Amino acid sequence: MLLNSVIIILREVLEAALIISVLSALSQKLHVSRKWLIIALLSGLIGAITYAINIKVVSMALDGVGQEVINASLHLLIYSFIVLLILSLKDQSNHRLMVFAMVSSVAIAVVREGSEIIVYIDGFISSPELLLPIIIGSAVGAGLGISIGVLFYYLIVNISLNRAVKVGLIILILIAGGMVSQAMQLLIQADFIISQQPLWDSSSLINERSLLGQLLYALIGYESTPAPIQFFCYAISLIITIILTTLTIRSYQQRPEL
Amino acid sequence: MKSIRTYLLVALLAIITLVTFVSLLHGYQSSISKAQQLFDQRLRNMAEIIAIANQDIQPRVDGTFNQSPTVFFQIWSSDLILLAHSNNAPETLSTDVNSQTNYDDINFNGYRWRTFSLKDDHLNRWIITGERADIRYNLAENVVMASIIPIVLAIPVAGLIIWVAIGLGLKPLTELTAQLNNKQADDLSPVMMQNTPEELTQLVATTNALLERLNAAFMREQQFSADAAHELRTPISALKVQLHNLKSAQQIDEKELQPLADGIERMGKVIEQILSLYRHSPDQAMLKQTEVDLCAIVQQVIARGYEQIAVKQQQISLTGVQHCRIKGNQFALETLLQNLITNANKFAPEGGEIQIDISQTNSMARLTIEDSGAGIPENQYERVFERFYRVNGDQHDSGTIGCGLGLAIVKHIVAFHGAHITLNRSTQLGGLKIVIDFPRRIEG
Amino acid sequence: MIKYRVRYYLLILFAIVNVPVLAAPVIEIEIRDHLFYPDEIEIPVNTKVKLLIINQDNTAEEFESYELNREKVIPGGSRGVVFIGPLQAGVYPFFGEFYPKTAQGKVIVK
Repeated sequence: MLLNSVIIILREVLEAALIISVLSALSQKLHVSRKWLIIALLSGLIGAITYAINIKVVSMALDGVGQEVINASLHLLIYSFIVLLILSLKDQSNHRLMVFAMVSSVAIAVVREGSEIIVYIDGFISSPELLLPIIIGSAVGAGLGISIGVLFYYLIVNISLNRAVKVGLIILILIAGGMVSQAMQLLIQADFIISQQPLWDSSSLINERSLLGQLLYALIGYESTPAPIQFFCYAISLIITIILTTLTIRSYQQRPEL
Repeated sequence: MKSIRTYLLVALLAIITLVTFVSLLHGYQSSISKAQQLFDQRLRNMAEIIAIANQDIQPRVDGTFNQSPTVFFQIWSSDLILLAHSNNAPETLSTDVNSQTNYDDINFNGYRWRTFSLKDDHLNRWIITGERADIRYNLAENVVMASIIPIVLAIPVAGLIIWVAIGLGLKPLTELTAQLNNKQADDLSPVMMQNTPEELTQLVATTNALLERLNAAFMREQQFSADAAHELRTPISALKVQLHNLKSAQQIDEKELQPLADGIERMGKVIEQILSLYRHSPDQAMLKQTEVDLCAIVQQVIARGYEQIAVKQQQISLTGVQHCRIKGNQFALETLLQNLITNANKFAPEGGEIQIDISQTNSMARLTIEDSGAGIPENQYERVFERFYRVNGDQHDSGTIGCGLGLAIVKHIVAFHGAHITLNRSTQLGGLKIVIDFPRRIEG
Repeated sequence: MIKYRVRYYLLILFAIVNVPVLAAPVIEIEIRDHLFYPDEIEIPVNTKVKLLIINQDNTAEEFESYELNREKVIPGGSRGVVFIGPLQAGVYPFFGEFYPKTAQGKVIVK
C-alpha cells in the first residue's frame, strides 16, 4: 500500500511542483509579484474539489470515456497556456498576459493532479486500518515531489537572469511536450485516435514506476512504451515550442536594459 | 534570495528529504520482497509437511479439515480428483498445476490468495497450499512500517534543528548588522566584534577602513569650513572698508567705483553660499532634525525678505494650511525657503506675483511656490540643480547678482530631508512652479 | 493543386483519427471487494478490445497497467471504458493502483 501511495502522490505532486517551481522562480527573476501563485493554487484547489466530486458523472459521460476526454483537454490547455506564457515573455511590458498564462497553467495543473489525489485519499478515509500506510506513503511521495520542486526553484533562482530564462524555458518546453504526449495517450485509450504497436519498450532500462521514471515522466513526459502517434505529436509540439521560444529569446536578448 | 536562513533551511531540508526518502523507498522495497520470499518459502514448507503427514490416496469420506481462515490446502490425485482439503478451501482446482511456475495468485472467497502447488511423486498427488495475500502483505508491511515511521517523523525535527543551527551560525552576521544599525549618525568609530568568523573578517576590516577614511574626510571638511569662513570673510570686510575709504577720498568718481563695489558684494555672496552649501551636504548627517512648523518658517522668511519684494512692487501670497509639522532642520529649511523666495523675487517682473501654498496629508507635506516670471525652459530643468549652472548663461534680465549656487543648495537640503522636488511651468502665473514633497512621520 | 493537397491532408487526418468501422469486442471486468473478476482475460492477437470496467465497491479504483500503457480512475459504484490493443502475443498484467495487493489481473494475448 505504502509504495503505491508514494507513487500515486509523487506522480501528481511532482508534475504540479515542477510547473509551479519553474514559474515562481521565473517570476522572482523577472520581478513579478508572486501573488498570482496564491490565486492559482486557490482556484486550482476549488477546481480539483469540484472535479473530484463530479468524477462519477464525468466518468460515465461520453460512453464511459468522459474522463479521458476531459483530462486530455486539460493537458492540451496546459500546453497552450505554457506556449502563451513563452510568447508573452517576448513582450515583457504585457505583464497581464504573462500572469494570466501563469495563473491558468498552474491552476489547471492543480485541478488535474489535485483531483486524483482527492479521489485517492477519499477512498481510504472510511477504512482507518489502511489509513496509516496511506498517510505515511503520501507524506513520502509529497516530500519527494516538493523537494525536487524546491531544488529546481533554487537552481533557477540562483543563476543569472539570462541563464534562468533559458533553463526555465527549456524545462517548460519539455513539460509542455509531455502534456501533449499524455493527451494523445488518453485519446488513444478513449479510442479517439487509432492505437498501434508501441515504438519501443524501454521499461527494462528505465522503469516508469521508479523514482527516475516518475521524474522523467513529469519532466519530459517519459513513456517506456510510447505509441507512434504519441511520439509523433510529442516531437511536433516540441519543434513548435522550440521555434517559438527561439524567436522569443532572440527578441528578448535584443532588449538592452535586461 | 530574501533570507539566507530560509534558503539554507529549505534547500537543506529538500536535499535531506530527497536522499532519506529515496533510500527509505529502496529499503522498503527490498524488505518487502525479502518478506515475500520468506512467506513463499513458508507456503512451500507447508505443502511439503502436508505431503509427509497425510497419506490419503482415496477421497476422504468426511472430506475436510478445520483450518485457520487465512491458509488453505487441497490434495488432488494425479487424475485431478479432490482427495482432501481444508474446510475453507475451494472444491475446484484452484490453480493450473501444469503451469511452469509453482506459485500463483487467485481470487477466491472474496480474497486474493497466494498459492503453491507441489507434485508429490511418492504418492502421485498434487498438494496445493494457499495463503491470503492481503494478510501476508499487511504482516510484512507492518514490520517495515515500524522502521519507516520514525524516519518520516524525523524530517520535521531535523528541520527544527537545522533552523536553530543556521540561526547560531549566522549570529556573527546579525551581530554585525545590529552594530552598524545602532550606530549614531555621527558615530564613525570602528566596529568591534568578538570572535570574528573567517567569512566576515574581510568585511569587518573593509568596513572599519571605510569608516576611518570617512571620519578623516569629515574632520578635514569641518576644518575647511571653519577656516574658509574665517579666512575669506575677513579680507572681504577689509576690502569693503577700504572701498569706503576710497570713496571718502573723493578723488575718484563714485560711478567708476560702483563695479568694484558690485564685485566685492558678489564675491561675498559666493563665499556665503559656498559655505552654506557645505553645511547642507546630505552626508552632513550631524544636522539635528527636530519637529518644525513649515508654515511658521515660510512666514518668517517672507517677513525677512519683504523689503526686496516691496521694492519690485510684487504681490506675495501664502495659502493653505495654518500649521504643518514636519521633521527637519530649522536653519536648513530657512535657507531653502530663502533661496526659493529670493529666486522668485528675482525672476518675477516688477509688479509680478508670487504664490506660496502649503498642503498636507497624513504621509506628506507639499510646498508649492509659483511665480509670474519667464520660467525655465523644460530642457534645463535637470541642469539648474548643478553647481554654478545659470539659466541661459545668466543672460536673463533679472538684473540681480547670482552665482548659480542657489538651486544646488536647495537640492542638497531637499535630499537631506528625504523630500522630493519637481519643476514645472505654472499654469496660473506662467512662470516657474516648484513643488517639494516632504515626508511626514507625525500624525495630525 | 490546392484541392489535391486538401484531399491529401484529409486522408492523413482520417488515418490518424479513428473512424470505427467494426465495433470492438467488449469484455466486462468487475471490481468487487478490491478484486478483479475475472482476473485473467484472453484476447486474440492484433485485435482492439473494449474493456468495460464495472466497479461494484463504493471506493474508487484506478485501473492501471504499465505494460498496456493504460491508467484510469473508476469511481466507486461507477463504470468506465478502456480500449486496449491491437497487441502482440504475450501476458500484460494490470492492477488496481488503489488496492494493488488484491486487485490484480492479467491480459493474455494469444
